[in-house]
Amino acid sequence: DLLQWPQISKCRSPEMETFSCYWTAGKFYNLTVPRILQLLYKKSNEEDWKECPDYITSGQNSCYFNASYTSVWTPYCVQLASKSEVYDKKCFSVDEIVLPDPPVHLNWTLLNTSQTGIHGDIQVRWDPPPTADVRKGWITLEYELQYKEVNETKWKELKPRLSTMVPLYSLKMARDYEIRIRSRQRTSEKFGEFSEILYVSFSQIGIGCDHCTEEVEFPWFLVVVFGVCGLAVTMISIMLSKQPRIKMLIFPPVPVPKIKGIDPDLLKKGKLDEVNSILACHDNYKTQLYSDDLWVEFIELDIEDPDEKSRASDTDRLLSEDHLKSHSCLGTKDDDSGRASCCEPDIPETEFSASDTCDATSDSDQFKKATEKEEDLLCLDRQDNDESLPSLANTDPRCRPENSDLWAPFGDSMESPRPSVHTQISNQNSLTSTDFYAQVSDITPAGRVVLSPGQKSKLGRAQHEGCTEQNFTMDNTYFCEADVKKCIAVTSHEENEPHVQEQSYTEDGYFTTESLTTTVANLGASTAAPPSSEVPVADYTSIHIVHSPQGLVLNATALPVPDKEFNVSCGYVSTDQLNKIMP
Amino acid sequence: MSAKGASLKGLLLVALLVSHMLLTKEGVTSLPICPNGSVNCQLSLEELFDRAVKLSHYIHFLSSEMFNEFDERYAQGRGFIAKAVNSCHTASLTTPEDKEQAQQIHHEDLLNLILGVLRSWNDPLIHLASEVQRIKEAPETILWKAVEIEEQNKRLLEGMEKIVGRVHSGEVENDIYTPWDGLPSLQLADEDSRLFAFYNLLHCLRRDSHKIDNYLKVLKCRLIHDNNC
Repeated sequence: DLLQWPQISKCRSPEMETFSCYWTAGKFYNLTVPRILQLLYKKSNEEDWKECPDYITSGQNSCYFNASYTSVWTPYCVQLASKSEVYDKKCFSVDEIVLPDPPVHLNWTLLNTSQTGIHGDIQVRWDPPPTADVRKGWITLEYELQYKEVNETKWKELKPRLSTMVPLYSLKMARDYEIRIRSRQRTSEKFGEFSEILYVSFSQIGIGCDHCTEEVEFPWFLVVVFGVCGLAVTMISIMLSKQPRIKMLIFPPVPVPKIKGIDPDLLKKGKLDEVNSILACHDNYKTQLYSDDLWVEFIELDIEDPDEKSRASDTDRLLSEDHLKSHSCLGTKDDDSGRASCCEPDIPETEFSASDTCDATSDSDQFKKATEKEEDLLCLDRQDNDESLPSLANTDPRCRPENSDLWAPFGDSMESPRPSVHTQISNQNSLTSTDFYAQVSDITPAGRVVLSPGQKSKLGRAQHEGCTEQNFTMDNTYFCEADVKKCIAVTSHEENEPHVQEQSYTEDGYFTTESLTTTVANLGASTAAPPSSEVPVADYTSIHIVHSPQGLVLNATALPVPDKEFNVSCGYVSTDQLNKIMP
Repeated sequence: MSAKGASLKGLLLVALLVSHMLLTKEGVTSLPICPNGSVNCQLSLEELFDRAVKLSHYIHFLSSEMFNEFDERYAQGRGFIAKAVNSCHTASLTTPEDKEQAQQIHHEDLLNLILGVLRSWNDPLIHLASEVQRIKEAPETILWKAVEIEEQNKRLLEGMEKIVGRVHSGEVENDIYTPWDGLPSLQLADEDSRLFAFYNLLHCLRRDSHKIDNYLKVLKCRLIHDNNC
């Protein structure tokens, strides 16, 4: 056994008027004889150690200092010593060691009971400890109440408060409770001892509730079961419901791979042309933007050459391949050429809106523009044909691989016939002073050209007329029917044509006035659409088959063709077919 | 015409009401603000004491916490507690040391003593607030408590002067005051010594704030509640 030295266990003042110190004697049995151990004390302003004035009042191994010895805010030091040595020493001031006595006279009264009689409220009252002089304000106490049911082990605590009464709400009338209170000086941290326990028993005062022992406990089991069933029913109904929105809200669709720039809605709505155009050149459209300057250049070139002007008929423009592609509308611009997208508004008119720089977003808008105005969306750049061909050939491959794959879903395996057409166009430029127009009634970025042959200018013409000038490169490229017709119809002159065509054009509304005038002028000179050869022709031609890589077969309503070898009744023909036509 | 006349009357009525309100200074407020010297608008002595007790309690609470924090953080292991003899600069003021003395002292004298102690702490608190910031890595809580205590002490001083003005029949004595010369010790180069100086100061502050709080409560119970709190 280790030797335990005597120790001062604590010093305490219950009311800030007196204080006591307690010690343990340790295992010095010899020293348990009283008066061997001494408690000496000293106030801070004194020199000598004095002995404890009262060893008895506070019990054994204690020293009691009464009021005359107590100075509250004076530092004290006490030490436990025998004659030979000092065992322990403590220094403090009385205001620091205040631990009040417990409150007394606890009682409770019933405030009210609930309607069901199961719960009730009570008010607990007590008196402050008698030793503490609260009345004169010498000490201010606060109290903490704790209560619990008799069977429980854990006490519930209330916040410390200054008042000597406290209500307890919602106690179960069928149970008995225990209450205890303790107090402390208001600015201290330590509480004094607990009071005696107060027993609260409702049955004793006759208001107990015997029949409410079976408490209705919360039916957890039922709640869980019904909750799960309800949730399952809700989920199933949502899944089976036709309301896509709710379904999407609860079961959001797994995102599918998305190609940048492609709007899946386009695919769904069937605007395949737009998507095609997007897909075709979505590599390009970001990097290649328009600059107005290039357009201006382009226009200037256009204007400078009067022949070009005349030649820049709509059909020519239509035929120019690189405008067939709508992806060019997306802003693809050949690096070296000033070719703008098909979406470009009227170039001769130099009307550039903000959407000149073709974005994918404004693609559909531009298309509407294209269709609304009579833009020369296709075949716009005539003059650069010769130069641009190689460039086209260069630039197109970028688009082409995508195009070929992407256009497949449309059912039109149309490859980019641009270069071929372009060559044709270039060749035809010289020929197309007069216009036998195949009007483009609709242009899709995907490259689908929907042609509407002029009312009088149909393939029939082509059958009747020859073409003196032949600069067609016989390499199976496509060229505008109009060019063919022009070529053919150079010789024939029809006075009526211009008017008809003019009207037709205005109906379609996408030819520029300028082109109109030019065409009209030209037509006046050289129109040769024989009314006799009127053939009822459909207004639209659409690309039907693409002869790779240079053939473009246009599909239209049935037209009488002299030569059955024609795959198409009107509109564009392949060079082979053209050769057949031509004398 | 009638509408116009009615609106004019309404306007006149509103103007009259507003002017009446302004003139009579009757408003619904929880803490009426009374200009100095005005006779009609005055806080009762009870209210003044209530506020004073609240302030003194708050100051003691802050001092206590600040001391505990400082003790926890800097004093452990340095043996500060062992040096029990710490004399506060206000020790020269003879204040009641137990309940009997507090009961026996005249309330005016006690009020003056309170004022004296408060004034004596004005200076140290200002320096405490500034010097405590130079302690290495002083926690934020200690810093703002020091500032707060200094502020509240000023307010309590004002309140006490008001109370003294009300209660005191004769002249207000201003001579109870102890100067403080502990500033150099707060600025010692040696960190240990400096921290011990802070420890002492905070210990004294806790003690004196407890004294003030107690005296005020005793006075309140005596003067307002007639010893029957």
